[in-house]
Amino acid sequence: MGAVLRAAWLIAAKDVAIEWRTKTAFASGLVFAVLVLAVLFFSRDPTVVSSHDIAPGALWVTFTFAAMLGLNRAFLLEGELRGLDGILLSPAPRSAIFWGKFGGNLAFVGLIEAISILLFVPFYDVPIWLRFGELLLVIAMTTVAFVAVGTLLSAMVVRTRYAELMLPLLLLPFLVPPLVGGVQLTAGLLDGRPLSALSGWLKLIGAFDVAFVTLAALLFQVVLDE
Amino acid sequence: MPPSDPVIIATALSRRFAYRPVLVDVSLEVRRGEALLLVGPNGAGKTTLLRVLAGLLRPTAGHVERRAPIGMVGHEPMLYPALTARENLRFFARLHGVDTARVAELLEQVDLAHRAHDRIGTFSRGMLQRMAIARALVHEPALLLFDEPLSGLDAAASRALVALLAELRDRGTAMILVSHQLEMLRGVGTHIVRMAAGRLGTVDPLQGRDPVALFTALMREAS
Amino acid sequence: MRDRALRLAGVGRGITVLALLGLAGVYVRALKYTPLELSQGAAQKIFYVHVPAAWAALLSISVCGLLSVLYLWLKDRRIDLAAAASAEVGVAFGVVMLTTGPLWGKPIWGTWWTWDARLTSTLFLFLLFVGYIVLRGVLTDPGVRGRFSAVIGIMGLVLVPFIHLTVYLFRTLHPAPIVLKPSAPSLPSAMLATLLSSVGVFTLFYVGFVMQRYALGLLRELREEELAGAAR
Repeated sequence: MGAVLRAAWLIAAKDVAIEWRTKTAFASGLVFAVLVLAVLFFSRDPTVVSSHDIAPGALWVTFTFAAMLGLNRAFLLEGELRGLDGILLSPAPRSAIFWGKFGGNLAFVGLIEAISILLFVPFYDVPIWLRFGELLLVIAMTTVAFVAVGTLLSAMVVRTRYAELMLPLLLLPFLVPPLVGGVQLTAGLLDGRPLSALSGWLKLIGAFDVAFVTLAALLFQVVLDE
Repeated sequence: MPPSDPVIIATALSRRFAYRPVLVDVSLEVRRGEALLLVGPNGAGKTTLLRVLAGLLRPTAGHVERRAPIGMVGHEPMLYPALTARENLRFFARLHGVDTARVAELLEQVDLAHRAHDRIGTFSRGMLQRMAIARALVHEPALLLFDEPLSGLDAAASRALVALLAELRDRGTAMILVSHQLEMLRGVGTHIVRMAAGRLGTVDPLQGRDPVALFTALMREAS
Repeated sequence: MRDRALRLAGVGRGITVLALLGLAGVYVRALKYTPLELSQGAAQKIFYVHVPAAWAALLSISVCGLLSVLYLWLKDRRIDLAAAASAEVGVAFGVVMLTTGPLWGKPIWGTWWTWDARLTSTLFLFLLFVGYIVLRGVLTDPGVRGRFSAVIGIMGLVLVPFIHLTVYLFRTLHPAPIVLKPSAPSLPSAMLATLLSSVGVFTLFYVGFVMQRYALGLLRELREEELAGAAR
């Protein structure tokens, strides 16, 4: 257990260091976030659609698509000079590779989300500060859901020729439960509804997290084998 | 001389890729202090065999018993281009549970200490190869697998590597070397074996004989 | 093994023919002998194809998922081929379901599509299994292909209840307009009988199709093996 955590931490830290140095995925994620937020804001008729109504959807579209730009990167960097083989040759437990990649991806997506929220506030006049703690919980739970599945799927598609196309194709159906839940919860919270009234969605995302993080961790070993 | 137990025992290994058999019933044992030269034509399965022995590839059938830590230098360096030489080695040292003080030592050994803080993405082919060797040695493995270790190295670096290999062998490290440059590895090899079409021939202890001459004889025999 | 595969294909074909006859019977029964539904009229008859297709699609996905688990455990490539066959057949039934849905919806609801519980669930699961098939298409090594497909198959199976739950929760928050749902909870016995016989027929189709598709897959693999062996 300790060995897994230690190795996972080393791998995640390495990934973060590499991304920090190159900043490629981060930059494209950020540009994308700004683009989506701006387009959704300006493309509506302000007299018909208030920014308040469109806000939850805009936020989550931004989060997921920017995240997808980053998910493939985690395994692409392993392919350049086959660093992953170096890890496989070490005594690091193989499950640590999943947890390390998962952790690194969460850090990456988390940072993009944090910056997106900061950009979000001036555009969409929404009082997120009032329910900030609860919103953070919702965002965290939903992010865990699609990053877990995304990490597993990106490990699979990275070796195919059409990785950028295959990842969204395969990931999309898995996004439906957490994303719908995330948007509903965000909208509900911003509308001032208490979390207890939205417990159904919260439980759905919670169950999804448990099921799919476990499943992804277990199935990852299968994907690693050549 | 350290006791000669096998550091690796491979039994009846088979491996197929997309229906094609690439390894057919390969059995092998390597002992401490032995340097096995693995020769054969392209496509014989030598790289596949090394990868299966290292544990990077699962055999379709058969079994590998690894009795000691393994280090490998393959076709790819197995490193991260965005990180510096020092960062790369520190990462792998930590992963292997080795004190990071060893990193400086290794960089000296492969003559890359002066580039320790440069990203290896900027390195030449020869430098990457030397980095790969450093990475393979980081945990002082008992068995080293080399797939074309001299590729990309200039004359001086080649001589340095050959000297290093001989030294490691004398200290008891076992190794399997796949190389087209047998003349350079003359002084290193203790055994030779030929591989063709996925099958391994009989291992021949060199006992002082010239591997190059033997190899030429083997090739002639095969045709 | 070739002979067994060919025989299996033959049996599958036979079952499919039987199912076709059954389908003809269902059509006759549905159109002539089942009472007309009060408010929807003749358009409602699509129900007898739409719902069984949905059932068959769900069956396909479940079987694929279960076989995927079995494959990861036993590593027998025939299990992988069976799972893939089930997935493909599921996609076919999904197409039927997704086309009959709008065909039914247009005259009744006045719209080609609605984000109704079952249609939405099927759409996303359909997309997943299309992805499954695409993935199989780009992976050439049978070992990798089998393992990766199994991963998707298992995840897809676990996803099914979550998608259903999501759409259910969504609907209770946004109550559906006053329209008739694709399957009413209580049906007069005549309609129920027609529906059940149609479900039976579609199940038969499932079995027949999967048998043939599996046999075909097996024959193809045997052929590839032969070719690879000969090339040496």
